[in-house]
Amino acid sequence: MSKLLKTVSVINTVDTSHEDMIHDAQMDYYGTRLATCSSDRSVKIFDVKNGGQILVADLRGHEGPVWQVAWAHPMYGNILASCSYDRKVIIWKEENGTWDKMYEYTGHDSSVNSVCWGPYDFGLFLACGSSDGAISVLTCSGDGHWDIKKINNAHTIGCNAVSWAPAVVPGSLIEQPTGQKPNYIKRFVSGGCDNLVKLWKEEDGQWKEDQKLEAHSDWVRDVGWAPSIGLPTSTIASCSRDGRVFIWTCDDPAGNTWTAKLLHKFNDAVWHVSWSITGKILAVSGGDNKVTLWKESVDGQWACISDVNKGQGAVTSITDSQQNEQ
Amino acid sequence: MKLKEINRTALQAWSPAQQHPIYLAAGTSAQQLDATFSTSASLEIFELDLADPTLAMKSCGSVSSPHRYHKLVWGPHGIEDQSLPSGVLIAGGENGDIILYDASKIIAGDSEVIIAQSEKHTGPVRALDVNSFQTNLVASGGNESEIYIWDLNSFSSPMTPGPKTQPLEDISCVAWNRQVQHILASASPSGKASVWDLRKNDLIIKVSDHSNRMHCSGLAWNPEVATQLVLASEDDRMPVIQMWDLRFATSPLKVLESHTRGVLAIAWSEADPELLLSCGKDNRILCWNPNTAEVLYELPTSTQWCFDIQWCPRNPAVLSAAAFDGHISIYSIMGGSNDHATTLQAEQLSSSFGNIDPFGTGKMLPPLQLPQTAPSQSTVTPLKKPPKWIRRPVGASFAFGGKLVTLDNIKPAAQQPQQTAAHVVHISQVVTETDFLDRSNRLQATLTAGNFLEYCQNKTEAAQSEFEKTVWSFLKVNFEEDARGKYLELLGYKKEELALKITSALEQNCKSDEADVVEKKSPVEEEAEAPATETSDLDEVPFEDEEPVVEETSNTEVTPAPSSDAIKLKVSQDIDGLITQALLIGDYEAAVNLCLHDNRMADSIILAIAGGPELLAKTQKKYFTKTQSKISKLISAVVMKDCLDILETCDLQNWKEALAAVMTYAKPEEFSSLCGLLGSRLEAAEDAALQAQACLCYICAGTVEQLVAYWAKAQDSSSPLALQELVEKVVVLQRAVLRAQGGVSDMGALLAEKMNQYASLLASQGSLQTAISYLPTNTQQVSVQQLRDRLSRALGQQQQQPGAAGTGTLPAAVPVQTYTQPQPPQVPAQPAAPPQYYQQGRSATTVTSWSNQTPTALPSVSRPLVPAADPQVESTAPAFGLQSPVSASVPASTPFMYSQQYQRPQNGWNDPPTLNRAHKKKKIPENFTPPAPITAPIMAPLGDPQGPAGQTMQTLQSQQQGPDQPVGPATFSPIQQQPLGPPGRNPNMPQGNMEGAPGAPIGDLIKPLQSIPTEKITKKPIPEEHMVLKTTFEGLIQKCLAAASDPQTKRKLDDAHKRLEYLYDKLREQTLSPAIVGGLHNMARSIECRCYTDGLNIHTHIVSSSNFSETSAFMPVLKVVLTQANKLGV
Repeated sequence: MSKLLKTVSVINTVDTSHEDMIHDAQMDYYGTRLATCSSDRSVKIFDVKNGGQILVADLRGHEGPVWQVAWAHPMYGNILASCSYDRKVIIWKEENGTWDKMYEYTGHDSSVNSVCWGPYDFGLFLACGSSDGAISVLTCSGDGHWDIKKINNAHTIGCNAVSWAPAVVPGSLIEQPTGQKPNYIKRFVSGGCDNLVKLWKEEDGQWKEDQKLEAHSDWVRDVGWAPSIGLPTSTIASCSRDGRVFIWTCDDPAGNTWTAKLLHKFNDAVWHVSWSITGKILAVSGGDNKVTLWKESVDGQWACISDVNKGQGAVTSITDSQQNEQ
Repeated sequence: MKLKEINRTALQAWSPAQQHPIYLAAGTSAQQLDATFSTSASLEIFELDLADPTLAMKSCGSVSSPHRYHKLVWGPHGIEDQSLPSGVLIAGGENGDIILYDASKIIAGDSEVIIAQSEKHTGPVRALDVNSFQTNLVASGGNESEIYIWDLNSFSSPMTPGPKTQPLEDISCVAWNRQVQHILASASPSGKASVWDLRKNDLIIKVSDHSNRMHCSGLAWNPEVATQLVLASEDDRMPVIQMWDLRFATSPLKVLESHTRGVLAIAWSEADPELLLSCGKDNRILCWNPNTAEVLYELPTSTQWCFDIQWCPRNPAVLSAAAFDGHISIYSIMGGSNDHATTLQAEQLSSSFGNIDPFGTGKMLPPLQLPQTAPSQSTVTPLKKPPKWIRRPVGASFAFGGKLVTLDNIKPAAQQPQQTAAHVVHISQVVTETDFLDRSNRLQATLTAGNFLEYCQNKTEAAQSEFEKTVWSFLKVNFEEDARGKYLELLGYKKEELALKITSALEQNCKSDEADVVEKKSPVEEEAEAPATETSDLDEVPFEDEEPVVEETSNTEVTPAPSSDAIKLKVSQDIDGLITQALLIGDYEAAVNLCLHDNRMADSIILAIAGGPELLAKTQKKYFTKTQSKISKLISAVVMKDCLDILETCDLQNWKEALAAVMTYAKPEEFSSLCGLLGSRLEAAEDAALQAQACLCYICAGTVEQLVAYWAKAQDSSSPLALQELVEKVVVLQRAVLRAQGGVSDMGALLAEKMNQYASLLASQGSLQTAISYLPTNTQQVSVQQLRDRLSRALGQQQQQPGAAGTGTLPAAVPVQTYTQPQPPQVPAQPAAPPQYYQQGRSATTVTSWSNQTPTALPSVSRPLVPAADPQVESTAPAFGLQSPVSASVPASTPFMYSQQYQRPQNGWNDPPTLNRAHKKKKIPENFTPPAPITAPIMAPLGDPQGPAGQTMQTLQSQQQGPDQPVGPATFSPIQQQPLGPPGRNPNMPQGNMEGAPGAPIGDLIKPLQSIPTEKITKKPIPEEHMVLKTTFEGLIQKCLAAASDPQTKRKLDDAHKRLEYLYDKLREQTLSPAIVGGLHNMARSIECRCYTDGLNIHTHIVSSSNFSETSAFMPVLKVVLTQANKLGV
């Protein structure tokens, strides 16, 4: 038990004062601000530096539950995207200390379930997955306009999640001299209600289905493309209502052969996967309100390294923070 | 939206939730006939393949049946134990029969598909339901109040739930309670519902509104609340759905009224209890929230009565509806576009309708009785309320610094429902590499305390392998006195021991010499071989002076020796004679040559000594070319004071000896390069054992970069502990180099890369502060810069400018607004924060704990010419002011932009984007000098700065000597950028640019630099042509100070005043590139004419087009001053 507490210790608990269920909470690039969104239709931004909690913004604009928020890279300013059941994607921007709508996208016919910003190196662009089965890619063209490309019927009855491939080409351990960046092909992964994980890539300005990964027997709830750690392998995690989490890997530079490895079969639906920044640990959130952390061992097996029991975490947080203060 | 369509007039049953893939069974309905009046029946199974975009459903198998069906259900019984892998299909027939089918056999095309059959019921079996807790229990209802409970495990003898209700009536529906497994409800067309308790085997309650108008067509239990059920009425006079709660069973809790004609079927979603479907004779399919009686959704499709509707148990968004027009349609409740589906549908209908007509008439029947409604809109609005299954209740996401953000939607306890739910987010620290962190902390502690000896000692003792032990011993030596001696000891050479050995060897030799002089052939070889018998041949020699060797050589000389009594000066024609003659005439050289020719080595050397140093040297050379013994090389090296040859040619197996020789003989200034050379040779060797030794050489050499390069190649440093291992060695060695040399050693590209890895690993474990201290300060590597920025921002180290956080005025925003006026109102990529905000953060973060602890000893070393060092600056500078609209319109998203922005990190993401900047340039005033003149660093001063300049000069100087002088200016001075890639060590030119090796005695070369403190370097005057800069800037600060009212601004200005000293220093040293100096002059001119916004503009350009390290020390300060001046309006 002490080992578990050592692995994960709560350092800050933020009471969001949301009036309904929270669906997503994301820290910004620096880990100093927290954005949350809720069924109460609001998006909130908190300054959580040094264990504090200061409400920076309470963003109203959605007319339905807000499912996800995503921070853009700070090189474009302080920008946050949110997507909602109201079929809208709103891009918020902080200007002179106040947050305002920068852009509102209403091109979907049903709930927009997922938003994800692409690698900042290649511009400011956002993928959105919707229950209408379509995926939109919004690209900021620089003069205030957003260029929109839509993939219709990407996932029948709905797309639940989108996640971009990292900018670093697998295998390039050492940074290329600037100007000679390898030709990056924009790619992302999506998961949907057709139980499929699909890979998409841009070719001549058009989005094409690149791969269709079949292993799940129920809705794919979330997908996460692991950050590149310089190794020549691409890695994707997918989780599903069927309780399974798969780790997909591809060693082939062309990206054509993907193999699935079952991380674990949970008793309950799995809602969310999240890779650590260094891409070594996967956090899995299940319907039983449990979060587990997984790490790949040297022999390639995935092992659970921690159960994040939130209730207990909250209790220990008090003692932990007290100890820190002393 | 419609997903699929089957052309059947049939009852439907979805496969159970456990079944994958999803199937839909369709059984011919007993209640509908088409124009053929055919009564033949079939049961068919279709697969729901959502990956297939067409409307068609693939038929997987079918059986023909003698019965048509009144009811069809699909139970999961047998799936778990695989006795019935796809569960059991249960059909209620016309004549009171109940038939059990093995679904998997139908799919497999088996002919024997019926598991069991019973004809116990009287009249048609209209009601069937499977118990969700015990899936082997099935309830059925027929005529005359007959209700049976069947156990699929012993199908033959059903039970009854209790005595039949009176009066006898048909049973139209049965339903098991969803929460309590022994509760069953039944309903009849009369409108009465009965609830049975199977444990009591009796009816426990009757539900009826006494209106006598209810005509029950549907019955469903609330999936969540055990006491609630709904009843649907088929009666057109009362087309309602009643929601009853058995706790108040006198009247319905809610009445769902929206249908205009009787309700034919209902279905309550298992996945979301707030979704209830109903279909009616008004052609509508509605989705209700039964708790609020609100219609959430209306399916936009139906042109016909639907007589059956079902939720898909596995896919919660999917439902199916069977209509009298001969179609089963499958819909998604989530809305979405119907465009593609309708077109496909049209194609399919036209091409294949006839073929799949089950009745084989080939005729398309006209719609039953109702006019076609207008085609539905292509887009369908989704449910008013989001269904439960898309409301994500949990989520844990990682964030920078090993943080994990978890949602916690704490539900109020069931006992206290009035308590509102708390919605909190926990931020946790995740630490996975505890061992790694422990070691990192230990290293950190050592770095702080400086007890490296102890640290290395501990590491040596704890070392797992012999090799590790050696490496740490070598590292340790760096912190001891007499490093070279210690190194030699480590290599196995102890002076004292050796002396003993030699003495004994000599004694032996003398004896043996006396004994068997005759046997000796070559005295030199003999001499070499004799000690070799004890240890390796090189072992002996290095510590002996040359003398013993020489002495012995002469002692043991066995060539026909001159007689000891008297000198006989023979002048004959033999060699002796010739030598004598040569000597007599004083021709040493000839004599020596003769001796050499005659192999009289000793003679020749002795003669050569007499002949003077030149001859001696020549003779030595000749001697060495002539003698080819094993140790001659060494002797040669020793005598010629040239270790290089040995190192380059020695057998690598003898690397130890070679290294020892270097230890002993190498000059301080070449020591490092020689060790390095040996290391490179070893590294290139094929033998892995030898390769490993290379790192010892690098440690001796103190070449951190080479050590890293070797390590990265030889050892896997991807695991955290391996990386820690590497960093420990590198950091300790770096410290050693620092100790020896006193300067900041440059970090090469590879080391920077490794340190970056290490820092990001530390960051991932939450050790942000430690992480930032390891980041190289002097590298331009993009990844390092990014990580540094990220770390410092995460630590909150950036200096907050007033207003930057969001309140008050934004000084830097003023010029931005001015210049964006002629622009389209908004440039989206424009950052929110003012540029200076970011830059201050940058400069602050260069103060790492390392550079704090280690005073930089070489701050005054002049930089190489800047343009040469950074060609990028030179190439971009001329573009200033001439930037074409083409380049201005390059979208910010292109990779080109990326590389530009990150080449020069001062042009950070909080700076206005290039796009913006390019436009601003158009507004640059006329007096702005185009780039060409900038190439000449001398600018004609404007105005008459002499008077005030002198004054400010004096004030400034007095301030300089004041106590307020900032400490450690070196931190801000640009550190010479090391070229990327491991520097090639050229052993032929080891002077000067080599790092001082830790083991090398501190030579004259290094000492002066160390002993002169930074402060004492007398400052040169600022070149006259640049005095105008100082006067202008100082003048502006004074003006601002005079105008400023609040102490904060004053403090800021004072600070700026001091910090501008860095600029003046650079001007004195003339190290600034002409482009920057030119820009500064332009700024000064703008200040003169009080065009501060122009000044800021120029400022931005300078910053964006120059090397960060070059300008970071003073440019932010200038910006502050200009901004203040603008604000104060001085």
